[in-house]
Amino acid sequence: MPSETTKTVYRQWVIEEYVLEKEPFYLPVADEIQLFEAAYAQKIPVLLKGPTGCGKTRFVEYMAYKLGRPLTVVKSRSKKDEEPQEVHGVPLVTVACHEDLTGSDLVGRYLLEGDGTKWIDGPLTRAVKVGAICYLDEVVEARKDTTVLIHPLTDHRRILPIEKRGELIEAHDGFLLVISYNPGYQSALKDLKQSTRQRFVSIEFNYPPKQLEAKIIQHESNVSEEMAQDLARLGEKVRNLKEHGLQEGASTRLLIYAGKLIEKSISPRRACQVAVVWTLTDDLEVQRSVEELVSTIFE
Amino acid sequence: MKGRQDYIEVVEKELATFPGSVCNEFRKAAKTIDGILPKENLIAWANEGLVIAKHSFRSWEPAADYFRVTPHVLGKLPFVHFIRWAEAGKELSGHSAILSSAYFRASPETLDVLAPHQLEAWTALGLKLFKGTWKSGSLSCRFFEVSPKLLSRLTLMELERFVSFLDIVGQRSYDLAGECVNLSEEVFLSLERQDCSGFIGLMLNVAEHNWRDARACFDAGAKAISRVARDERARFLSLSEAFARKSDASTHLFMVESSRALNELEWSLHSHILELAEKLLTTSSIAAQEFLRNCPIALGKIRSSHLDVWFEAGRQILEENEEGGIAFFRLESAKGQEILENLSAGVELGRVRDVLQMYSIALVGSEVQILSTEELKERGIGWTSLERPSTEGSAVFLPEVAEKYLTKGENFGWYKVMVTHQIAHLEFGSFAFSFEKEAELFPNKRREIEANSGQKAEALTDMQRFFELFPDRRLSYHIFSVLEDSRVDFAIKHVYKGIRSLYGRVQRHALTERRPLPTLPLREAVIEILIRISLGDFSGIQVQRSFLPLVESLTKVALVVQSTKATVEDSAEATIRIYEILSQLPNVLSPQDDWQELDMSEEGPEKESRWEQRDGAAGQGEMAAMMSKLMEGKDIPYSSPQEVEYRGDFKPELVQLLSKLRQGKSQGQTETSASAPLTPEELKALLEQSAEIELSDVEDGEITTTQGLFADNILKEITKKAAVSGQDKDIPDRGMPLGGPLQVSDPLVFLYDEWDFRAADYKPRWCCVKEKKIEEGNEDFFDKTMESYSLLFSQIRKQFEVIAPMLFRKVKRLPDGEEIEFDALIEAMVDKRLGQSPTEKIYWRRNKVQRDVSVVFLLDMSASTAEAIEEARPSPDSWDPPDDPRQYMSWLRAKREEGAKRTYKRIIDVEKESAVLLIKALETIGDAYGIYGFSGYGRENVEFYVIKDIDEGFSDKVKRRVDKVAPLHATRMGPAIRHAISKLGSQQSKTKVLFLISDGRPQDRGYSREGVEKEYAVHDTKMALTEARHKNIVPFCLTVDRGGHDYLKTMCQDMGYEVLADVEALPKRLPFLYRRLTT
Repeated sequence: MPSETTKTVYRQWVIEEYVLEKEPFYLPVADEIQLFEAAYAQKIPVLLKGPTGCGKTRFVEYMAYKLGRPLTVVKSRSKKDEEPQEVHGVPLVTVACHEDLTGSDLVGRYLLEGDGTKWIDGPLTRAVKVGAICYLDEVVEARKDTTVLIHPLTDHRRILPIEKRGELIEAHDGFLLVISYNPGYQSALKDLKQSTRQRFVSIEFNYPPKQLEAKIIQHESNVSEEMAQDLARLGEKVRNLKEHGLQEGASTRLLIYAGKLIEKSISPRRACQVAVVWTLTDDLEVQRSVEELVSTIFE
Repeated sequence: MKGRQDYIEVVEKELATFPGSVCNEFRKAAKTIDGILPKENLIAWANEGLVIAKHSFRSWEPAADYFRVTPHVLGKLPFVHFIRWAEAGKELSGHSAILSSAYFRASPETLDVLAPHQLEAWTALGLKLFKGTWKSGSLSCRFFEVSPKLLSRLTLMELERFVSFLDIVGQRSYDLAGECVNLSEEVFLSLERQDCSGFIGLMLNVAEHNWRDARACFDAGAKAISRVARDERARFLSLSEAFARKSDASTHLFMVESSRALNELEWSLHSHILELAEKLLTTSSIAAQEFLRNCPIALGKIRSSHLDVWFEAGRQILEENEEGGIAFFRLESAKGQEILENLSAGVELGRVRDVLQMYSIALVGSEVQILSTEELKERGIGWTSLERPSTEGSAVFLPEVAEKYLTKGENFGWYKVMVTHQIAHLEFGSFAFSFEKEAELFPNKRREIEANSGQKAEALTDMQRFFELFPDRRLSYHIFSVLEDSRVDFAIKHVYKGIRSLYGRVQRHALTERRPLPTLPLREAVIEILIRISLGDFSGIQVQRSFLPLVESLTKVALVVQSTKATVEDSAEATIRIYEILSQLPNVLSPQDDWQELDMSEEGPEKESRWEQRDGAAGQGEMAAMMSKLMEGKDIPYSSPQEVEYRGDFKPELVQLLSKLRQGKSQGQTETSASAPLTPEELKALLEQSAEIELSDVEDGEITTTQGLFADNILKEITKKAAVSGQDKDIPDRGMPLGGPLQVSDPLVFLYDEWDFRAADYKPRWCCVKEKKIEEGNEDFFDKTMESYSLLFSQIRKQFEVIAPMLFRKVKRLPDGEEIEFDALIEAMVDKRLGQSPTEKIYWRRNKVQRDVSVVFLLDMSASTAEAIEEARPSPDSWDPPDDPRQYMSWLRAKREEGAKRTYKRIIDVEKESAVLLIKALETIGDAYGIYGFSGYGRENVEFYVIKDIDEGFSDKVKRRVDKVAPLHATRMGPAIRHAISKLGSQQSKTKVLFLISDGRPQDRGYSREGVEKEYAVHDTKMALTEARHKNIVPFCLTVDRGGHDYLKTMCQDMGYEVLADVEALPKRLPFLYRRLTT
C-alpha cells in the first residue's frame, strides 16, 4: 500500500498496482502490436524472443499501457484524492528471473510473524488475482520448478495452484503471462522445454532496422538526427561482428546510452567507447576493431 | 782478357760433369756479364756457382738457376751484396736444392721491391719455414715464389708476421699453410694497403686459436673486409681478432656474415654498429655475432636512432642470462620482438590482421578475410602486384608491411584507408554491376550501343558484356576504374564521417605523388585529370587553353558519380560518355604554352541532380583548330595511368568472373542443367581479352603462357576443396627455414610461441599448428569397442550417472531460503520460549551446483603409439623420429609398413578405445568436450587433428573419425597444448580441464637445441601446461610410459599427472580420473 509519509521522498507501489502513467515510446517494427492485442484478447500467453536490449521489455510496457481499460484500475489507487489522475493501462508485474528464482518466490511463502506464520503472496499470485500482465523476463534462467506453476496458468485452465495453502486461484480475466527468452546465449542445458514453449505464441524480436533504430535513438537520447543515424549505423556494423568475435551485437539500449552521453557533450568517440566498445567485450583485439569502426564513423 | 776466357773455360770444363743446362746457363750468363765485372769478381761469381753445383747430388739445379738469374740480379746489387746473396743461396742449397732454386728464381723480382740490406732477412724468412721436411720445403719454395708479389703490397715487417702465421699453421698442417701461400697473392692484392697489417694480425690470432679455420678465414676474410666501410675496416679487423681470441666458433663465418650484414646498411652506420658489437664481445662472442648478423633485420624495422634502445635492452638481458641475450639478438625472443615492435614505426600485417579483419567484417557484413598480397600473387589468378592492395571478392589483400609513414599510428591509418577502400568496393556494390540495371543519374546508353554494334551479348559476366562495348578495352577499363574509385571514395567520405580526415590526408599525399600534367600526352593527361579530381583536387589543375572547354565538360560528367545516389551503373554510363570523347582524342603531347587553370569553383561534389547533356560549349572552334593541328603529330602509344597507391588494383571483371565460376560450381553439384563449365581454353581467351591483367613484369613472349597459367589456376581455385587431412599427404616440407618466426595466412593455421628455458623467454611465433579434421573411416571401430567393453561401460555409465544428482545440494540453516527448516524452527521456538534470542537461520535451500564443465582431450598420435602393448618395450629412442628429413621418410615408411601387417594391439588402439568410452560417458552428463589428436614433424608442421570439436555435437561423423586415428609422426606437445588452451579459452564454463594422454616424453625434430637435449621439450611442455593453469584450466597428464615418472615430475610438478603401469587399464582409468577431476 502506498505510504503517505514516504510519498514525498520516493514513489512506491504495491507490485500489482504499478501502472504506467505516461505512454511509453515504442515504434513498431512489424505487426507485433496487433499480434499482442489479439493474443491478449484471446488469453493466449506470449513468448517474446530476441536479443538483449532490442526492446522486449519496452514493448510489454507499451502494450500494458495500450491495452489499459478503466475497469482494471485498482481500487486503492482510485481512492486517492490528491490527483484524480487518469490511470491508464493494465498493471504490469515484471519479474526478472535468475537462477535461484524458485516457485515459492513467484507464488508466495510463509513468513514468521509474532508467534505464528503469515502467508505472503508472491508477484505471480498477485498478478493472477488482479488481472495484471505478468512478465517473466529471461524465464529460462529460473529454476525448473517454476514450470509447474506456469503450465496450468498457460493452458485453458488458467489456474494457479498454491500447493502450500491447498488452494487454486482462478486467473482474473485481465491476467496474461508473458515470458521473454533470448535464444542466443543460453547453453543447450538451459533451453526452454518443448512442453513449456508450446504453450505460448512466439513473437520474434530483433534489432530494429537502421532507419527505425535511428528514430528510436533520436527520441530516447535527444541527439540530432544525423548523430542518431550514425549511432544506428554503428549498431548495424557492430552487429555484423556477432559470431566473429562478439557474442552479442550492440543493443539498441547501448546505442541510446551512447546517445545520451553525447547529448551531455561527451565526445562521440569517447561515448561510444564507454557505452559500446568496453561494454561489449573484454577482448583487446575485438575492442580495437570496434574502436576502429567507431573512429571511422564518428569524427 | 785471355785470363778471363781461360778461366771461363776451366769452369765450363768443371761444369761439364753436371747436366748440360748448368753449363749452358753459365755460358749465357758469362757472355752477358763478361764486360761488366772485373776479373776477380767474375772468378768469385763463377766459383760460387761451382761450389753450389758441387755441394750435393742435386745442387746443380740451383746452380743453373744461379747462373741464369745472375745478369738480372747483378744490376740491382752492389757486388758486395751480390756475393752475400750468392752465399745465402749456397747456404740454402746446403739445406735443400729446390729451396735454393726457388730462392734464386725469385730473387730478380724480389730485388725490385727490396733493399739490398733486407735480403738477408728475407732469406731468413724462407729458411724459417723450412723444417727439413719435404713438405716444409715446398712451402718455403712457394713462399719464395710469391715473395715478390707480396712484397709489393707488404713491408718486410708485415711479411715477417705473415711468415709467422704460415709457420704456426704449417706446424699443424702444411697443406693448409700451402693453400694460404697460394692464396696470399690474390688476398693481399684485394686488400687495401693499410688493412694488410691488421689483417695479418687477425690471421695470427686465428692461427693460434683455431688453426683449422685459418685458410677459410684467410680467403673469406679479405673479401669480407671489402664490404665494410673503408674507415672502419681496422676496427672490423680488430673486432674479428677479438672474436677469434674469445670464441671457438669459426671466425671466417663471423666475418662473412657480419660483413654481409654490414654491407646491407649505410656505410655511415658501420662505425656505431661495430662499436656496439665491441661492447657485446666483452660479454659474449656469440651475442656479438648474432647482433651483427641480425642488425639489418632490426634496422629494417626500427630507425637507426632507436637502435641503441633495442641494443641496451638486449645487453641487459645478456648480462643477466647469456642464453637469453643470445636469443634476443638472434631475434628469437619474445621480449626482443616486443621491444623491436614497440620501437618500429612500421606496422606488420600479421599483427593487425585480426583487427582489420573484424573491422572489415563489421563494415561489409559478411565473411571477409584479410590476407597478404603475397598470397594473392601466389595463387596466380591474375594479380601480380605485391605492393598494391586489392580484393578478389571474398578477401582483401594487403601488403605485408606498412611503413610509408613515420609513426605507427599513421601507418596503421594507411592500412585502414586501404582496407576501407577495398571494403567499400564490396559494400557499395562495385562488383554487383548489372548490365540490365538502370543507372540512377544517367539515361541508359548501354543498350543502344550494344544494339548498334550488332553483336549479340554472350558474355559470361555483366562486366565483360559492358567492356565489350568498347573497341579500346584498356581505355574503357581505365576510365571505369577511375570513376568507380571516385564514386566509392565519395561514398566512404559521405557515410563515414570519422574517417574523412584520415582519408583526406592519404588522398592529399597521393596527390603529391602524381606526375606533372604537361609531361603527359593528351589522352593520358585527361585520365590523369580525372584521377586528380577523384582525389579531391579541385584547384590547380592546369590545362592547355584550347582544351579547357573539353576538359571542363568531361570533368562535369566525372563529377556526377560523386553523389550519394550514384551506383556502379552510373559509373558505367559515365564511362561511356567520357570514352566517346576521349577515344576521339589523339594521344599526343599538347603545346607547352598557354596553360590555364581549370575553374571548378561551381562544380565540386555533392550534386544530386540528374545529369543532362549540354551541347555547344564555348570555344569549340578553337579546339577544333588545335585538334587538327595535333592530329598531324604522331600518336604516342597509350600507357596505363600511374596507379593510386591506396586504391590498389581494381579488377571488376575478374572478380565477377571468379564469383560466377564459384557459383556455377556450387550449382553444378546440385543441378546438372547448370551452364556448362568453362574449358581452360575459353577461360584463357577471356583473360587475354581482359584489360585488367597487366603483365608489366612478364616477358612479352610469355604473356600467352602466363594467361594460360592464370586460367589453370583460376579453375583450380574454383575446384579447390576444403583442406582434407590425409595421412599420406602430409609429407614434411624440405628446405624449411632454419630459424626465425614463421608467417601464416591460412585461417586454420595458428602460430604459437615456444618457451626456451635457457633464454628464459619465448621464441615468438615459433610453431605452426595446422588444424585439420581427421578423415572419416567407418563406424565399425566405434561400435565394436562399445560391444567389447559393454560391461565396463555400464559401470562407467553408472559412475557418471551418479554425478548428475549431485547437482543439487540441500543447504540448511540459512537466514533466507526456499522453505522453513523445521528442526531449526523448533529450536528457535524453544529458544524463544526460554527467553533466549532465537536464531534467524531457520531456512533451507537447494543450492544448485551447476555442472559447467568443458574438457579437451589431447591424444598423442606420435609414431611411437604404434608400438604393441604386449611387447617388451624397446628403448624409447628407437621410436623417436630421426632428425634428418630424408632418413625420416624412410623411417616413417618402415613404421607404417609395420603398422599395416599388425595383428597385435597398439597403444593407439587403447587410446582410441578410451576415447570411445569417454565420448559415450560424456554424452550422458552433457559436458562440453572436444577430442583432438596431435602429431607433426618439426615446428612448422604441428598437426592438430580434430576428432570432435568442442563446439561440435556428437554425430556419426565423430564415430567415423575415431576410426582413422593412427600413429603419425613426432610429439611436439607444447604447441598442441597451446592450441587446446585456445580452444578451451573460447568456452564459458566454470571448470575447464585439459587432458593430455601420451605414451612418452615430448620429442620432435628441433624440439631441443642440437636435437639431443630433452629438457628443452620438457620445459616447453611444462610452460604450456603452466599457461593453461593461468587461464584457469586444470591440466592433467596421463602417460602410459612406465619410465614417465622422471620427466613428468619436471613437466607437471604441482599439476596432476599419472603414470599408468598397465596400458590396458587406460579405458577404465580415464573415465574414473575424469570424474575425479571434474566433481
